[in-house]
Amino acid sequence: MKQAKTVRLALKAIGMNKMRTFLMMLGIIIGITTLTVIVSVGKGASAKVMKSIQNFGANAVLIFAGGGKVMGPPDEKVNTLTLEDSQAILQEVKGIRSMDTALIRVGRTVKYEDNNTNTVIYGGTTNYGDAWEWPVESGDYFTEEDMGSMARVAVLGKTVVRELYGDADPIGTNIRIENVNFKVVGVLGPRGTSPMGMDMDSRIIVPYTTAARRVFNTPYVSLIRIAAADPNQVEKIESDVAALLTDRHRIQAGFPEDFRVRGASSVSKMAKGMMGTLNLFLGLVSLISLAVGGLVVMNIMLISVGERVKEIGLRRALGARKQDVRSQFLIESSLITVMGGLIGVVVGLVVSVLLPIMSKGKMAALPSWEPFVLGFVFSAMVGILAGIHPATKAAEMDPVVALKG
Amino acid sequence: MIELKDITKTYRKNGGMEVNVLQGVSLRIEKGEYVAIMAPSGMGKSTLMNIIGCLDRPSTGEYRLDGIEVEKMDDDSLSSVRNKKIGFVFQSFHLLPRTTALENVQLPLIYSTDETDMDARAGAALDEVGLGDRMHHVPGELSGGQQQRVAIARSLVNDPSILLADEPTGNLDTASSTEVMSIFDKLHKDGRTIIMVTHSDEIAQRAGRVIKMRDGRIVSDDRRAA
Ligand SMILES: Nc1ncnc2c1ncn2[C@@H]1O[C@H](COP(=O)(O)OP(=O)(O)O)[C@@H](O)[C@H]1O
Ligand SMILES: [Mg+2]
Repeated sequence: MKQAKTVRLALKAIGMNKMRTFLMMLGIIIGITTLTVIVSVGKGASAKVMKSIQNFGANAVLIFAGGGKVMGPPDEKVNTLTLEDSQAILQEVKGIRSMDTALIRVGRTVKYEDNNTNTVIYGGTTNYGDAWEWPVESGDYFTEEDMGSMARVAVLGKTVVRELYGDADPIGTNIRIENVNFKVVGVLGPRGTSPMGMDMDSRIIVPYTTAARRVFNTPYVSLIRIAAADPNQVEKIESDVAALLTDRHRIQAGFPEDFRVRGASSVSKMAKGMMGTLNLFLGLVSLISLAVGGLVVMNIMLISVGERVKEIGLRRALGARKQDVRSQFLIESSLITVMGGLIGVVVGLVVSVLLPIMSKGKMAALPSWEPFVLGFVFSAMVGILAGIHPATKAAEMDPVVALKG
Repeated sequence: MIELKDITKTYRKNGGMEVNVLQGVSLRIEKGEYVAIMAPSGMGKSTLMNIIGCLDRPSTGEYRLDGIEVEKMDDDSLSSVRNKKIGFVFQSFHLLPRTTALENVQLPLIYSTDETDMDARAGAALDEVGLGDRMHHVPGELSGGQQQRVAIARSLVNDPSILLADEPTGNLDTASSTEVMSIFDKLHKDGRTIIMVTHSDEIAQRAGRVIKMRDGRIVSDDRRAA
């Protein structure tokens, strides 16, 4: 009852100068809005990362030809990975359930009747479906026989089907890849985006032998994909493969590798690193706004205390203890910041909902209830910290002097 | 009962010069007395009222309020004494602006231990000063006399035994003064101790006892039959 009265009086004081109250809230609103967006974007991004790691495969290890780059499609000009390397890995590294060896070319023109599109040509083995854990949706993969005879058969990803055929059934039709005729024998199930944001459904799988000899005329390997028997062995396989290839390629200690080994753990590490930079920046913005907001609140509260000296003296004369005066001003400052904080959470959640729409899906954000808790705690903290000095100043006034104004 | 013994109050001015506002005031006021304090401006009347009201502490001397030594009380206890035993009425009313009469009168209740029926008690205090129908008016909507009556209601709401009024009619016209003074007469009849600072002989005559001060000392203390 008494507390309710104190809060009501504080609300009244707040309501008396709306412009000033808004100024006091502004920094807090910005700070908490940013904080809310951080949380939502963080949640959205980690959901996205989780999804793409799932797409990558929790038990997958990828070996790329060429060193340097963190991630990304294999480089066409590097000829550092060979079929012998892939054989050696299969023989010497333990814990491999399945392995696919591939020659890959990106951005190649593919034609079906009058339609054409650019896509990834993936010359793989009959292990593709198993190593990628990627079943066909219709038709079938090519066979060992096709591999032996360098058959011109192709399995299409969903994006390729959509772009060349629309809703029509591609099985049994003929397409031209780099001016070589291929017969479509299967369609891959949908897979989504890679951790790097690439459309994994934009690819055509053909036999390695056909790609190497009939289309691209090169004996090298761009990518080896391993599916580990046990996801816990992934890191062990990564280091074993790296050690083996370092040895086979005679790379001296301290010299750069001419291959890249990437497992699910390094993928998630990289994705988190990218997120971390963004969060660090937004976190800094939030922190600075809250600090500036706090300083504004403190200064305006000091002005307010100065203007209300007589009121303070009166309250003391009527029986208010120092701590009553102190808590009155603390309640006032934290009510203002908490209201600002709640506005900030709401604005932040609206931004979080709009962000994915405005960025056409490039930015993910996941609204949640956590910002309400964080926003409340942070804004209340700022309100109390900013209020301490003005409230103490008010409480410690000599009541006689204060009454005179 | 109020007992002051050799009370002095010394202020140090900004320049470091000392001003002896009270230079040994001894005074005893019984429960239920109506006392007028008279002295020219700057002679320490308000300082004495603030000491009696436990809002200020004397530099030296002893003050017993209902037998309790006030010098020995800490700040929180003094606040509690002001809340329960003392009602202040000021020359300039000191009402919170843009706050209704009812809420102004409730102010002492917020700091009281008895939190029951805040609206009813504040309403009753306003009735007592004849402003029961002005409860929801803010000070800006009230005349000076009405504002001072709200302030008197505020001083009464916690049912204190002592009322300290420092020139309560100083800002009022004659008609309003008469109204306010008749309220004090009634409160005195109800048994409250009233100590009032005034410049007006006419007003002082309503009191049963007139104390005159000069240069920080009491120069005369006349009791007469009321
Ligand atoms: N806080 C203070 N600091 C310094 N001087 C003060 C203070 N309060 C009052 N005085 C001085 O004490 C004297 C008495 O003041 P006051 O008690 O208000 O007189 P009165 O009420 O009789 O007019 C005045 O000269 C005033 O200037
Ligand atoms: Mg005075």
